[in-house]
Amino acid sequence: MTSIFIAVAVLSILALVFGVILGFASKKFKVEGNPIIDQVEALLPQTQCGQCGYPGCRPYAEAIANGDHINKCPPGGTATMEKIAELMGVEQEPLNAEAQSSVKKVAYIREDECIGCTKCIQACPVDAIIGAGKLMHTVIANDCTGCDLCVEPCPVDCIDMIPVETTLQNWDWKLNTIPVKVIHSEQEEPAC
Amino acid sequence: MLTLLEQLDKGTLWQSPGGIHPPQLKTLSNQSTIARLPLAHRFVVPVPLVGEQAVLTVAVGDQVLKGQMLTEGTGFTYLPVHAPTSGRVVAIEQHATNHPSSLPTLSCVIEADGQNAWCELIPHSLEQLSKNQILDKIKNAGIAGMGGAAFPTHVKLNPASEINLVIINGVECEPYISSDDRLMRDYSDEILKGIAVIHHLLNPQRIIIAIEDNKPEAAKAMQDAVQRSTLPAGIIRVTVIPTKYPSGGEKQLIQIITGKEVPSGHIPAQLGIVVHNVGTAYAIQEAVYQGKPLIERVVTLTGEQIGQPGNYWLPIGTTINDALQAVSFNPSAAQKVIVGGPMMGYALADLDVPILKGTNCLLAPSAHEIAPDVDEKACIRCGECAVACPALLLPQQLFWHAKAEEYDKAASFNLKDCIECGCCSYVCPSDIPLVEYYRVAKSALKIEAEEKRQAEQAKVRFEARIQRLEDEKNAREAKAKEAAAKRQSNMKSTDKDAVAAAMARIAAKKAQATSSTVSPEAPQTTVDPKKAAVNAAIERAKAKKAAKANTVSRANELDTSSAEVSVDDKQAKIAAAVARAKAKKAAQANTESTVQTPNPAETEVAGTEPTADAVDDKKARVAAAVAKAKAKKLAQAGQTDDSAVEAEPTTDAVDDKKARVAAAVAKAKAKKLAQVGQTDNTAVEAEPTTDAVDDKKARVAAAVAKAKAKKLAQVGQTDNTAVEAEPTTDAVDDKKARIAAAVAKAKAKKMVQASQIDIGEAASQPTVSVESTADIAPDAALTVTADSADLSPEQIKKAKVAAAVAKAKAKQLAKRAEQEEQ
Amino acid sequence: MAFKIASSPHVSTSLHTNTVMKRVAFCLIPGIAVQSYYFGFGTLVQILLAVSVAYLAEAAVMKLRNKNIKATLSDNSALVTACLLAVAIPSLAPWWLIVIGTLFAIVIVKQLYGGLGNNVFNPAMAAYVLLLISFPVQMTSWVAPQTIAMNHASLLTSVQTIFEINQSFAAEYFRLGIDGIAMATPLDTLKTDLSMGLTTTESLAKPIFSGLAAEGWFGVNLAYLVGGLVMLKLKVIRWHISVAIIASLFVCASFGFLVSPDTFVSPLMHLFSGGTMLAAFFIATDPVTAATSPRGRLIFGAMIGVLIYLIRTFGGYPDAVAFAVLLANMCAPFIDYYVRPRSYGHRTGK
Repeated sequence: MTSIFIAVAVLSILALVFGVILGFASKKFKVEGNPIIDQVEALLPQTQCGQCGYPGCRPYAEAIANGDHINKCPPGGTATMEKIAELMGVEQEPLNAEAQSSVKKVAYIREDECIGCTKCIQACPVDAIIGAGKLMHTVIANDCTGCDLCVEPCPVDCIDMIPVETTLQNWDWKLNTIPVKVIHSEQEEPAC
Repeated sequence: MLTLLEQLDKGTLWQSPGGIHPPQLKTLSNQSTIARLPLAHRFVVPVPLVGEQAVLTVAVGDQVLKGQMLTEGTGFTYLPVHAPTSGRVVAIEQHATNHPSSLPTLSCVIEADGQNAWCELIPHSLEQLSKNQILDKIKNAGIAGMGGAAFPTHVKLNPASEINLVIINGVECEPYISSDDRLMRDYSDEILKGIAVIHHLLNPQRIIIAIEDNKPEAAKAMQDAVQRSTLPAGIIRVTVIPTKYPSGGEKQLIQIITGKEVPSGHIPAQLGIVVHNVGTAYAIQEAVYQGKPLIERVVTLTGEQIGQPGNYWLPIGTTINDALQAVSFNPSAAQKVIVGGPMMGYALADLDVPILKGTNCLLAPSAHEIAPDVDEKACIRCGECAVACPALLLPQQLFWHAKAEEYDKAASFNLKDCIECGCCSYVCPSDIPLVEYYRVAKSALKIEAEEKRQAEQAKVRFEARIQRLEDEKNAREAKAKEAAAKRQSNMKSTDKDAVAAAMARIAAKKAQATSSTVSPEAPQTTVDPKKAAVNAAIERAKAKKAAKANTVSRANELDTSSAEVSVDDKQAKIAAAVARAKAKKAAQANTESTVQTPNPAETEVAGTEPTADAVDDKKARVAAAVAKAKAKKLAQAGQTDDSAVEAEPTTDAVDDKKARVAAAVAKAKAKKLAQVGQTDNTAVEAEPTTDAVDDKKARVAAAVAKAKAKKLAQVGQTDNTAVEAEPTTDAVDDKKARIAAAVAKAKAKKMVQASQIDIGEAASQPTVSVESTADIAPDAALTVTADSADLSPEQIKKAKVAAAVAKAKAKQLAKRAEQEEQ
Repeated sequence: MAFKIASSPHVSTSLHTNTVMKRVAFCLIPGIAVQSYYFGFGTLVQILLAVSVAYLAEAAVMKLRNKNIKATLSDNSALVTACLLAVAIPSLAPWWLIVIGTLFAIVIVKQLYGGLGNNVFNPAMAAYVLLLISFPVQMTSWVAPQTIAMNHASLLTSVQTIFEINQSFAAEYFRLGIDGIAMATPLDTLKTDLSMGLTTTESLAKPIFSGLAAEGWFGVNLAYLVGGLVMLKLKVIRWHISVAIIASLFVCASFGFLVSPDTFVSPLMHLFSGGTMLAAFFIATDPVTAATSPRGRLIFGAMIGVLIYLIRTFGGYPDAVAFAVLLANMCAPFIDYYVRPRSYGHRTGK
């Protein structure tokens, strides 16, 4: 009988000791803020497009940290969703928006059609459109995140989302996609 | 333990890991001295930096001289581009470039005139120039690394840290290439002069000329040149290194010569070492002593499909096609043309691309020299690639991850340290194009990093924007508070009469609003065109398929008169025609019919012609915008009805609201709709008893004018000025006139001038009543449309003519207004 | 003229996978020859059987996977797998044994994992272990070496025995030694004797042992060693794994032998009996299932050597090559992950 008491006592003391240690540790090693939000935000594409239903990427990151679905980010695509799933330790979900083409796009204003209404300027989450009322607007392509938000408000429908042009800087080295010029050898025979 | 310098002097060599020994095949091209080919007729000089760091200094059709600078620019790494020969610039266009991707780049196409006339060259000796002047000379000569990477040389000659060792790279480890070999044999003294310049600039403790032992003649020539050179004794030596690919790589060469490794992610200059190619040394000498820019280089043209293989001086910009034709290139079926050597070179998709500064070899191999590609087989993880890798990577692991597109994992195996030398692919028993995988992976990582950077930037911008909006809001609130406080203090100082007066004014206004039959129409008519345009545009974008029936019925609901309905029907018909044609003309007709809608008001109105023209002009512009934007007519018809609704007798409350809106808008940015609101306001102010309100308006208008002088804002002002034409508001008029003048000065746009017509008119006809001026717009419409609902082209023409006249008049009036102002 | 685009480098060596595999197969020839000399023509029959089954099985799988049959078969990897399995099993084992083993090796161990380059386990050894566990009797029925055997199997009788045509020539018949006692393999004998309390010296006095090593097996191992050295010379394999296996086995065996010569056999016995040399040069060096970096290969080889010794000495099975190789195969990815060479410009491997 005493052995039971001893066991209970020992366990109780142990529990107490560990409780104290835990309590101390929680004070001592307290993490300011919620790092998971930062981590999620780092994975999000920062287009600030609001397609998730939140006003920007950080609010969505907060929502994810609070248990929202991870499949609401069309610009990030499946890759981002997978990374978030891995980070959050949740199941992967198919994207709820229709799968967007992975080609990065930027907005382009057909400038002779722009009436200078400034609506797109107000819609742009990253201030990538410049222009003044009644004057033509234009998109700073380098700063455009391709979020699509300016297309809707345009009253004269003069904004297009065009794929980013391939340049020598962002060429992806996929050699087999290069069209090869085929010339018949008769024409190509040297004259001399 | 010997010091490094002693080791260098002894010629101690270290082992570089990995590497391979491919068949050299250099004798194909290195048997004769460097020759020249007949001048080509057409040169393509890429100017890739134009638009970023540089601007073109020539235009299509310009004559250029050999060596003339084609671009001007700024930036540390900017290099100018020079004309390779004298001739005429025939095009500046996107042209396929000498790059594995063959993507087009902006290029200057020069047609040679055959004179080959040099521009003025300024030779110097080393003593005449300061170090900075020498560097400038080198920069202005456009010298880039000639070994292939084409990194601007002046940057390497102006390092941040002290340089102890300069290695002159004459290794040329790629098979087939012999351009450096021949250059060292034929121009050893010139190279030494170039080295002297480098020595003068960097003042290193040692200069090592490294040459592979498969080029004994070159080593001998350089050794002799060293003996002859004037450089201080003991500083420079020729070191012969064993033949192994890729000993010529910068990092590998440093390892062989010094035993040191360049830390990953760093440049050799941080070790106090700089490596220059022998070709670069030659070009430096040309630039400094002769003043010649880098416009030609030695290119090895080799391979069994070339009739006269050898080394040739080729002007930069010569197309590869021209160069190959000149040496009897005989292409086989499925011919590869490789730029660079067989190990690191790339095959071209298009031969009409230029020789560049880094193009050291063109290889046209026969099928048995370079076997046709075979299919990739499964990796058996034999590890031969890891043995061959000079960067001590694990190519098989990199391949594994690159193939699975797990680029971050590939990066964790130090993918970025891969120098793409091709040793791994060379030894691969499964014929896997490993380097291709790495390049794809590297570019994917690069793009990923770029996207990450952009995301970071987007986040910063987004947060900045949020902050800005917040600040603006706070500022607005603070201002409102301040204004309220001011008002309160004013209230205290003035007696209650002010309040009473205000009350009385309001009462009067109310009475006016209810009694007047004209004032509700006035806003209606002035508002319509603008509102119609705006709303029409919105409707166009949003509801492209606005149901015809819908709109008509809506019109029916709103305007009960049967005559209106018939007009609508007509409009519908016109709309269909317009939509189909999409012509500007038709669009104009369309707007005019839009104007037509507020018919009931027009019956009471009588107006003058000139102002009507001005309004027409405005219409024409709106119409143009409409036409461009694929407008749908019926939508507009609906809109017109909407605006008609809005034009219904306005109450004071609405007016107040509008006034407030207008004020806020004017402060913010003077946006279009806000201006429409203003228009309404001005209409309201047409009332004789609302002087105070007018003042406010005037202030708003002034703010607007000051802010940006936007087109429609000015339209709004037009109405303002029209309003102020009233005899009882002379003071206000003055103010308006001044504002208008300021506006005119600021931008002098068409519509501004249109607005000034009104001012002019206001000045000349002070007795014109509010009603008449306000109703001009509909009247104008009437003059065009009253006689026939379906508009004929003649009428449109008339409208245009009238518009032009109005424009001319407006200009005149504006001038006059200005004169008066002065 | 059509320009072809291909990534650099545009040249490569002529040593391709199929050549490598072919050379491995050629280097097996001395070993096979010696084995045939000692254990009869059965070995050759087994090889023939195994190779044909292997090719047929691989072709069938390729057909099912809609892959290019010819390209896959021409890489010769099936040939090597079949040969290795065939020389590892008793020469007069019944035909279905080698058929099952080959099918398992090719279809399950290799192709179900994705084909050449993707298999985790050495196909031949996985099949060997499967057979050993499933059919222990048949798998340990080695005939007596020709020099000390009572009955010699001719080509015809070998075929008859393997295909179980004539029951009078059962494998047991050829297992009889000159003393008329059915013989086990030397390692098996040793193990049994030691468990019966005999000292190694007493055990080694039996006719199956000749001097310090096992009769017949010494020659076979020597032949494989020669073949292996040729492979090294041809650069078909690198030295790391083989040297590590031999060295670690030698060190372990020497240690045991020095401590207690009565209960532990000599290093020579370990190195030249059973499948040591075959494993060291032909089986463990299979690059697909081995570690890839030089250091990793040393560890991999050392691990196999130690495991061979431990299982032979303390385990339940007389020979341990297959188990040791499979265990090391499992560890190969792990070794590769932790043993990374230091890259140029880096201080450490990671």
